[in-house]
Amino acid sequence: MLKDITIGQYFPLNSVIHRLDPRVKLLYTFVFIIMIVVANNFVSLAFCVACALVVTFVSKVPLKTVIKGLKPIIFIIVITSLLQILYVKTGVTLISFWKIRITSGGILEAVFLTFRISFLIVMSTMLTYTTSPTSMTNGLDRTFAPLSKIGIDFNIITMIMTIALRFIPTLIDEVDKIISAQKSRGANFETGSIFKRAKMLIPLFVPLLFNATRRAYELAYAMTCRCYNGGKGKTTMNALKYKKGDWLVTALTFAFVAGVIVLNIKFGEYNAKFAFNSAV
Amino acid sequence: MADMADTILKFDNVTFRYDSDDEKLPPAVENLSLEIKQGEFVAVLGHNGSGKSTLAKLSNGLVTPESGDVYVLGMNTKDENNDLKIKQTVGVVFQNPDNQIVATIVEEDVAFGPENLGIEPAEIRRRVDESLKIVGMYKYRLHEPHKLSGGQKQRVAIAGIIAMQPQCIVFDEPTAMLDPEGRRDVMNAMKRLNKELGITVLFITHYMEEACEAERIVVMDDAHLVLDGTPNEIFSDVNYIRSLGLDVPQTSELAQMLKCDRINISGETLSVDGLVNSLAKILNRG
Repeated sequence: MLKDITIGQYFPLNSVIHRLDPRVKLLYTFVFIIMIVVANNFVSLAFCVACALVVTFVSKVPLKTVIKGLKPIIFIIVITSLLQILYVKTGVTLISFWKIRITSGGILEAVFLTFRISFLIVMSTMLTYTTSPTSMTNGLDRTFAPLSKIGIDFNIITMIMTIALRFIPTLIDEVDKIISAQKSRGANFETGSIFKRAKMLIPLFVPLLFNATRRAYELAYAMTCRCYNGGKGKTTMNALKYKKGDWLVTALTFAFVAGVIVLNIKFGEYNAKFAFNSAV
Repeated sequence: MADMADTILKFDNVTFRYDSDDEKLPPAVENLSLEIKQGEFVAVLGHNGSGKSTLAKLSNGLVTPESGDVYVLGMNTKDENNDLKIKQTVGVVFQNPDNQIVATIVEEDVAFGPENLGIEPAEIRRRVDESLKIVGMYKYRLHEPHKLSGGQKQRVAIAGIIAMQPQCIVFDEPTAMLDPEGRRDVMNAMKRLNKELGITVLFITHYMEEACEAERIVVMDDAHLVLDGTPNEIFSDVNYIRSLGLDVPQTSELAQMLKCDRINISGETLSVDGLVNSLAKILNRG
């Protein structure tokens, strides 16, 4: 039942994007998130959206899957759009009744925001769709390795991430087992009021927590046996190496930044009234 | 100190309590002395709570004795300067394979030990491939551990220890959570390590049949070492073994019953072939 969780899911395919160095993917995702916030007119935004679509297309991840990733945030998009429509009062008044006045500016602002949030999510999910968890932790590890000079040991953080990823399926199996065990003793997880069902989670989480703690102790012993000492002087078997394609995409990322800045300057901060008038 | 060279593991009058402040708590291991020679295959037998798992943790300094000393190649496990060298010399494989695998991909898990030791990437790659081949898991090197069977996971855990090139491996009930097939695979892997690579094996178990495959058996009961000898010697006293709460192999049991009926069976009676031979002798005589 818990196997349907798809947060941070990896979509194993053999595309150019999948083969990229994880550091490059981290870089362009991070850059994209900043630039889509920086983009201040519809042309810049369209440029960002186009670039995101190109990445999606090249990655071969089905568009359907990408759109599915937006489902959890539909609620947020609707609420923010509504707030924009109700509170932004620029441009031409379109509808006016009671205390509500809907303006062209509000609607355009809502459209702008919807695209901004959606593609922010699209690019973030593209990162996890195209990068395996191990590759991701490797990338993060190498990206933040310089932090050790100022006393932040990122090695430990990536170790924690790796262990968390490693134990998710194990703990999910364990939850399933505990549910079956409790059900066989007459526990009922499916019916009753929400409070009753929430209360039923106690006999689920207590054994889970207990077992997870016991596992942690055993894992600590096993790691000690394998000479783990907090990652000091650690080497990596599959060391990451920048290849030609990685340099190319890095260059493209900088070109993208330049593109957004140029379009921002050329078309200026969009004026709702102007935008509406020219659209009509 | 000439004989120190071939003694890999030495327990010298070791006593250990899990909470050393609590005087009332019975020790998990008490006044235990034991010497393991290089290249030996020793089984440690005992029922639950006899202190045999504690023996595993004492063997490479995961826990240190309350009194007495444990030496690995002459290095005291209490000396923290020796810590890394000791863990590299004596590896431990635990009961639950799930709780020993660290990484999300088989080969990266096997690489974990050598990586921690700071070994060159090319050498790690060589060791990982070799270790996976020894345990017969090479073709699974890119798999995710949670999708493997129990026996396969346990073999990955063993490969993870082999990759550090230890001289001795302590197996703490490695087969207890496995199905018969997985159990056989792990047994075979252990035997290969001992025979082909000359790795000293200390095999902790409560399965009689498995213990019989060792050259030497050490029996623990209630924190004490009570018997030490070859499988044949150990199982010749069926009644004593039973009194320790342990099972007796069927062959030994049959030999015992024949003895009770005043049929004087002698020689090797532990393996099926041995028993058949001994019986044949009696029948020929009669």
